[in-house]
Amino acid sequence: MKRDVFVSISFLMAFLLISYAITVKDVLGMAENPLRPLGGFYLRHAFAPSNLTSHSPEVVTAIVWNYRGFDTLFETFVFFLSIMGALSIFRLTEEQEKEARSLESREPHRHMDLITRATTKLVVIMIVSISASIALHGHLTPGGGFQGGSAMAVAALLLFAAFSKFTLERKGLTLGHVITAYAFGLALILATAIAPVFLYDGRLLQINLLPGETGLLNLDVGEYIAVTFGFLMVFLVLGISEWIFKVILRGEIE
Amino acid sequence: MIASFFIFYITVTLFAIILLGIYGLVTRSNLIKKIIMLNIMGDGINMLLILIGYRFVFPVFPPIYEKHVTFEEFLARAVDPIPQAFVLTAVVIGMAMNILLISYAIQFYRLHGTVDARDIAEIMGGKSK
Repeated sequence: MKRDVFVSISFLMAFLLISYAITVKDVLGMAENPLRPLGGFYLRHAFAPSNLTSHSPEVVTAIVWNYRGFDTLFETFVFFLSIMGALSIFRLTEEQEKEARSLESREPHRHMDLITRATTKLVVIMIVSISASIALHGHLTPGGGFQGGSAMAVAALLLFAAFSKFTLERKGLTLGHVITAYAFGLALILATAIAPVFLYDGRLLQINLLPGETGLLNLDVGEYIAVTFGFLMVFLVLGISEWIFKVILRGEIE
Repeated sequence: MIASFFIFYITVTLFAIILLGIYGLVTRSNLIKKIIMLNIMGDGINMLLILIGYRFVFPVFPPIYEKHVTFEEFLARAVDPIPQAFVLTAVVIGMAMNILLISYAIQFYRLHGTVDARDIAEIMGGKSK
């Protein structure tokens, strides 16, 4: 109890100190909020007809995929690593997988009522088209691969809630297929990053050597596919009912 | 003057959210609550970064070049694109981190039946108060 009071008071003191520093002393320099020189550089050169152009009127995409493209490339690798980590944590041996499949086949195929299912079908079509427009137009308008992919993952979650995991697997979205699609997205990103080296004698990720906007479009589409199917992969693994895991894993421990 | 009042107001509120996140992170013992608090803190920091890049001119443009706007006007009115690019990266990394943390928590619950940090310390052989 005494410790709680102490912690609360120290946090309150920290808050007051920070507020004083920001409002009175203006330590962050936010009173005028001028355009910083580095931001001005990117705004000036993103679509200028000079050497440093990136063929993209959207400056954020130009920074993310061209000027600081390595950041985004490694960020994609981090995403890959985390998904692989999640998959390896939930990994089962072959016998356990067989057992899980036999337990799953005994489970009744539950789904929500007709109104919810019909509405979900309509909404999912809309979400898919909107996410495709976000991703494919990402180099011209606000948006990009990751945002489109996240929107697409929401559609997958809606399908999970309204129908079930089995509906998706019947339609062909099994774990193996999803992993293949994810690998295809990553391969597209890697191919676009390496292409300037072999085709135009450039450097890695020097995509403004590629004709027009192909580089940015390819990277956006690759990221879109990778993020969509990466999330779907995790959802498919998490979609296995909890009691099945308990039977398998607790049985293994005891 | 009014613009700077609002920007200070929003900044202080965001710092309150960040501190709240840290407070929850250290005082709650449920792992899921810790992850939620981590997310609240991260979102506060992301919003602060976006706010730092914002410009108080009217009308303010997004950092997207348009044909009917002259280049000088674009430079005078567009917001700073760098914080937005950083936050885009930070959001993706946060998402990846979430996936991994949630997987650990779920798997620990499946194996040992608890997500309480004190119980976990006991199970793992440490001492808990």
